[in-house]
Amino acid sequence: MTTASATFVSGARAASVGDYFALLKPRVMSLVLFTALAGMLVAPVHVDLLTGFTALLCIAVGAGAAGALNMAYDSDIDPLMARTATRPIPMGRIARGDALGFGWTLATGAVALMGLFVNPLGAFLLAFSIGFYVFVYTLWLKRRTPQNIVVGGLAGALPPAIGWASATGSLGFVPLLLVLIIFLWTPPHFWALSLYRSQDYARAGVPMLPVVRGKRATRRQIMLYTLVLVPLGFAPAFIGLGGPLYAAMALAFGGWFAVEAFSVLREKDEVHEPAAHRLFGVSIFYLFVLFAALIAERLMELPPLTALHFGGWA
Amino acid sequence: MDDNAREARERRRRSIAIALVLAALVVLFFVMTMVRLKGHVVNFFQ
Repeated sequence: MTTASATFVSGARAASVGDYFALLKPRVMSLVLFTALAGMLVAPVHVDLLTGFTALLCIAVGAGAAGALNMAYDSDIDPLMARTATRPIPMGRIARGDALGFGWTLATGAVALMGLFVNPLGAFLLAFSIGFYVFVYTLWLKRRTPQNIVVGGLAGALPPAIGWASATGSLGFVPLLLVLIIFLWTPPHFWALSLYRSQDYARAGVPMLPVVRGKRATRRQIMLYTLVLVPLGFAPAFIGLGGPLYAAMALAFGGWFAVEAFSVLREKDEVHEPAAHRLFGVSIFYLFVLFAALIAERLMELPPLTALHFGGWA
Repeated sequence: MDDNAREARERRRRSIAIALVLAALVVLFFVMTMVRLKGHVVNFFQ
C-alpha cells in the first residue's frame, strides 16, 4: 500500500471496506446474480444447495472482479464523466494498482473455485465472460467503435448460461435463448443512458452511438432493437420454458418497453431526454421482471404454457 | 480524527474483512470436501 498510497489525491480519505465493495459494481452484480439464478433454476437437473450456492458465489465474485478490472483500466477516463467521477479510483481512495490486484485475485479465485467445486464448463464460461468483458469490451472495443456495447454485451448476457452449465454441466437451446434475450436487451438499455450522458462520453472520447452517429440514429437503433427484443421476450412461453405468469409479464412489460422506446424515437427535448431516462429505468425493470417470473414459476412449480417440454430442446 | 488515525482504523477494518472472507473460504472448502468425500465413500460401498 505504500507506493499505491502515494497516488492518493491530496485530502482523500483511506480506502474503506465499502470502497472495495463499490469496486465490485454491486448493482450490476445483483442483476448478474439474478439472471444466473434463473438459468440454474430452469435447468432440468436438480442442483444441490451447496453446489448451487458455491456456483452463485463464484458468479457474483467473478462479475464483481470484472467490474473492478473495468474500473481500473478505465481509471483515466472515469474522472471525465459525471456518472463515474465518484468511483473509488477517480476519488483517489483506491490506487489503480490495488484495484488491478484486487480484481485479478478475485477473478482467478472465482474461476478456480468454480472449476474445483462446480464443474469445468461453468468455470470456462465464467472465465470467458470475465475475459470478454475486460479484454474485448473494456480494453479493445469501448474506445474504438460505437458497436462497443453491442458486442461487449455478450459478457453481461452469459450469466444464465453459466447458471445452467453449473447445474447441468452442458449447454443447450434454452440457456442460449436467455443469453440472446439479454444480448438484445443491452443496446437499447445502454443507448438510452448514452442519450442523456452523451456529453460525458464525448468529453471522455468514448465513441458511443449518439456521439459518433448522432441522437436521431441512436433513437432509430433503440427502436429497431426493441422491435426484435420484445417478441423474442415471448419466446420462452412458446418453447415450454415460461408459464402463464411469464407470458403475462412479457406482454405487459414488453409493451411498456416498446411504448417507452417509441417515446424516445419521438423525443423533442434533446437537453433533458426525459423519455430516455424512463426507458433506462423500464429496461432494468423489464429484465428483472422476466427473470423473476421464470424463478417464481419454478419455485411455485407452475407448469409451462405449452405442452412441448423444454427438456426436449435442451 | 487525524489522517493517521483514520488510515489505521480503515486498515484494521480491511484486515477484519479479509480475515472473515478467508475464514468463510476455509469453511466452504472443508464442507465441500466432506460432501464430496462422503459421496465417493457411499458410492464405493454400494
